[in-house]
Amino acid sequence: MAHVVVSQLFKKYGELQVVHGVDFEIGDGEFMVLVGPSGCGKSTILRMIAGLETVTGGEILVNDRVVNDIPPRDRDIAMVFQDYALYPHMSVRQNLGFGLKMRNAPRAEVEAAVRKTAETLQIEALLDRKPKQLSGGQRQRVAIGRAIAREPQLFLFDEPLSNLDAKLRVEMRTQIKRLHMSFKVTSIYVTHDQTEAMTLADRIVVLRDGRIEQVGTPEELYMRPANRFVAGFIGSPTMNFIEAQVVAEGDGLQVAPAGGPPLAIPRSRVERYRRHAGRSVILGIRPEDVTNTWTEESRDRESAVSLNVPVEIAEPLGSDTLIFARLGGAEIVCRASGTTAPASGSTIRLNAHMDRMHLFDPDSGMAL
Amino acid sequence: MTTIGRTRLADIGTYLAYGVICFFFAGPLLWLISLSIRTSAEIYVSNINLWPEHPTLENYASALNNPLFPIYLWNGLKLAVGGAFGAMLFAAPAAYALSRFRLRHQQLTMIGLLAVQMISPLVIMVPLYRYMDRVGLTDSHVGAMMIYIAVAAPLFTWMLKGFLDGIPQSLEEAAMIDGCTRFGAFMRVVLPLSLPGLTSAFVLNAILGWSQFIIPFILISRPGLLPIAVGIFNFQGTYSQTSTQILAAASVISIVPAVVVFLVLQRFIVGALMGGAVKG
Repeated sequence: MAHVVVSQLFKKYGELQVVHGVDFEIGDGEFMVLVGPSGCGKSTILRMIAGLETVTGGEILVNDRVVNDIPPRDRDIAMVFQDYALYPHMSVRQNLGFGLKMRNAPRAEVEAAVRKTAETLQIEALLDRKPKQLSGGQRQRVAIGRAIAREPQLFLFDEPLSNLDAKLRVEMRTQIKRLHMSFKVTSIYVTHDQTEAMTLADRIVVLRDGRIEQVGTPEELYMRPANRFVAGFIGSPTMNFIEAQVVAEGDGLQVAPAGGPPLAIPRSRVERYRRHAGRSVILGIRPEDVTNTWTEESRDRESAVSLNVPVEIAEPLGSDTLIFARLGGAEIVCRASGTTAPASGSTIRLNAHMDRMHLFDPDSGMAL
Repeated sequence: MTTIGRTRLADIGTYLAYGVICFFFAGPLLWLISLSIRTSAEIYVSNINLWPEHPTLENYASALNNPLFPIYLWNGLKLAVGGAFGAMLFAAPAAYALSRFRLRHQQLTMIGLLAVQMISPLVIMVPLYRYMDRVGLTDSHVGAMMIYIAVAAPLFTWMLKGFLDGIPQSLEEAAMIDGCTRFGAFMRVVLPLSLPGLTSAFVLNAILGWSQFIIPFILISRPGLLPIAVGIFNFQGTYSQTSTQILAAASVISIVPAVVVFLVLQRFIVGALMGGAVKG
């Protein structure tokens, strides 16, 4: 297993700088997800770790050894590609055993590893087929199998599920998680899908334009986003952002959305926000925190604020309903429980759980 | 008019167009075959009669009995296959580099290659002869083959690049991670996958080489070294009376290998022409 350190990593293509001094560390057996919108440099970083791209500046260390100039074949890694990259002219058996064969493993050892991998992934029946005779899900299984057959010290995944349909994607996601739990091999996983990131990761690196926005556990990113970008990127539907003003009200504080009713800031947050009184801010609140239910926490601390909001559109999802409504001048999305969708134009009473609110600086976007 | 009626009319139009095009290309060929089975007396008859009154295979026998004919065929084969093989040796690495590496002025290089293809050998006839004469490479198969290679390599490179572009780069990368060097990945993954492309480009270029006339005509004058296309042309002067019918028979014989190869490997050749046109 491997301990990976990425230190001051830079990548330039000609004059175009795509990775700007990135630092992070991945512990032994950890599952790290690099997530960000397209063009944020996540795949480039992964490919540099794999040795498929040269490093313009900085260092990549695997188990305290700088691997910058070591060719991919000597890094003891395995990679699962977005397009599976199965060798079309080889059978599934040959695909699974290729890595071991290239390392001159004895034939018996190759066969045993192939058999064991096929059992783990339940693809024994496919061993003599060629990749083109497999379905998308089966191909993905073989691609993962090729990676685990060799028992490398580091797994790299480059958006491995993005070519699968939604149902299969969820299935494979669980399978990857299960494999990681049983093998405990250090893994780096690149995706643009925040749900994949949240469900798979021990820790997540959020990237934008070749820079790190935040590194943390899924819970940290969800509960305490460092800035507006992370807050908006993690969570679905995305967090509501409302232009507002912090207003002092006696001992307490309120946050007043432009054109909307002032909302009391919970006592536990007053000290933290007091110095921003009188300033413009961006109020961030997640759809699931503006709802028709009470959490125990909100009820005890009286931190939920009741709102009457006009409904514009309601989208029933089955387990709950998304309500697009207006709060002052801003459009907000709320998640109400229940399947009965309120009619457009009606008014609905919702509770904003202010203990879950966030305030951001309108200029820098940083969390306050 | 109903939709079916309109469709049928369009079909008739299509077949008519096919007919005209087919006649345009097949007409001269049929005429050549017709000439090849005539007696010398029937060559100059004025009425156009595709099937002669006294058809004969005599002309084929005469052509094949000419002691130089098999030599011409062999020379043609040697130059065509050698030229195509040489072109492949130069074009394959070039196509690989153009397909896989980020090169400066890549677009310009590709257009440059195509531009070379647009120059007719007729235009460079005189300088080419003087140049090859100066370096002592006239009247030699090696010299002629070098020009065959130079002429074929650009088209070959384009075709192969199209094929290689269709082979995902991630396959090589997977192989390199699995333990191959770049060359190893090329040999174990890219080469086996590009074999159909290589074969079809090779065959197409060999056929083009087989029908090459201008280059050997300029560079080779010794009868024993001439390929079939030029050899036939020289038949004209070797017979005392009119030799058109024998010339025609020899031409038909010379076409046969190309037609057979084309028919057998049709699928491959169409593949070569379409390579890169559609991402598969």
